[in-house]
Amino acid sequence: MNGEEPQKRNGARPVIRMLIFPASVLVLYGILFVVMPDKTLSAVKSSGNVLFSIIGVLALVFIAMVVFNLFVKPGQVARFLGAGSGAKGITLSAVAGIISMGPIYAWYPLLRELKQKGAGNAPIAVFLYNRAIKLPLLPIMIAYFGWVYVVILSALTVLGSIATGYAMGVLLKDGRDLKA
Amino acid sequence: MKIAVSAEGPDADARVGDRFGTSQYLVIVDLDSGDFEAVPNPGASGQRGAGMQAVVLVISRDVGAVLTGYCSPVVRSHLAASGIEVLTGLSGTVAEVVESYSKGNLRESVGAETGQESGRGMSRRVALVQALRRSANQFGTLLPILVGVVLLIGLFNVFVSQELLTSVFSGEPVLDTLWGACFGSILAGNPINSYVIGAELLNLGVSLFAVTAFIITWVTVGLVALPAEMAALGRKFAIVRNILCLVLALPITILTVVVVNLVGR
Repeated sequence: MNGEEPQKRNGARPVIRMLIFPASVLVLYGILFVVMPDKTLSAVKSSGNVLFSIIGVLALVFIAMVVFNLFVKPGQVARFLGAGSGAKGITLSAVAGIISMGPIYAWYPLLRELKQKGAGNAPIAVFLYNRAIKLPLLPIMIAYFGWVYVVILSALTVLGSIATGYAMGVLLKDGRDLKA
Repeated sequence: MKIAVSAEGPDADARVGDRFGTSQYLVIVDLDSGDFEAVPNPGASGQRGAGMQAVVLVISRDVGAVLTGYCSPVVRSHLAASGIEVLTGLSGTVAEVVESYSKGNLRESVGAETGQESGRGMSRRVALVQALRRSANQFGTLLPILVGVVLLIGLFNVFVSQELLTSVFSGEPVLDTLWGACFGSILAGNPINSYVIGAELLNLGVSLFAVTAFIITWVTVGLVALPAEMAALGRKFAIVRNILCLVLALPITILTVVVVNLVGR
């Protein structure tokens, strides 16, 4: 179907897809409750405790998301990614990876477009690696693991992304592996 | 600020295209400098994904608003998610709609659907409302899976014995790192889920090595997303990148835990 054709059910499909996993878990709870009601109730209580412990931090995450959405434009990410394979390009690709939001699938069309226009393998690999750092999610990570851990892991993630980008640049020749 | 107008021809006198994704040209006008560029619409062939090709084009050109006759809800949502204002129901020539837009007349006469930022003239209040709306959407998409994960953790806590867990995660740094990396590579999704699962595993006595490798590979290695990555970036790129990231997760994990232990958590 053409992407431009009106698709009445497209709005509902992702919602249904999102609900499949939690609904499946609920079905599992239902089955287990019939077999082992006491243990299943304990599991519900345990889940409640976990949920209760993260509610406050989730509020912080939401505030961080709002601030982010207010100041970061997706257009900036595209511009940063197209800055080439030099030191500046790699740095901007790392920044683009860190500030990019949403599922990776949403970014593939843009990455493909950039690659077809000659963007190097290194900046794209650096971008993908740095998506492991999610600024709006840092509050919940710090709450769980402490800021020392988060700072060290984030710093090493950036260094790891540069190592990956360098290795990709050496191992692959730009543009030759892309099957159009 | 740049705007993109779907057009049936490559000049300012061309009629506005009926459909954003399949019109012959996208005319990109820089309202500040007056620069004008007619780009052949990559989706003009009308093949599957035509709308998305046009979306990628306007995003890569850093366009702030799209002016067109019609835009499907799917394409509109992608544009809005990228902070691009969408004005539909337009007709006349490209020059006429650009002039009307620059005078601020269009939003009153047609249905304007805006994303994160409309660019010119948008008040901070409107920008905040849109940021709130977008954040609520993003939050809404991560919440169902997170709830599912939390429910699974409850089952895990009650039904998985400590013995079973220690039989997999023995506490030996390299083995634990490998196991953590394996699980993280298979599983995927929003990183917030890896934090919640990782924290619970820590509570159950699993080593920080395993949890760190799990968190790193959750995003950097994606077996589930591998077919999509291969389709988008090439088979060789995707395979080499995933192997590199998996291998690199081991030294990063060990270095992270060693440094954290030295500094003190």
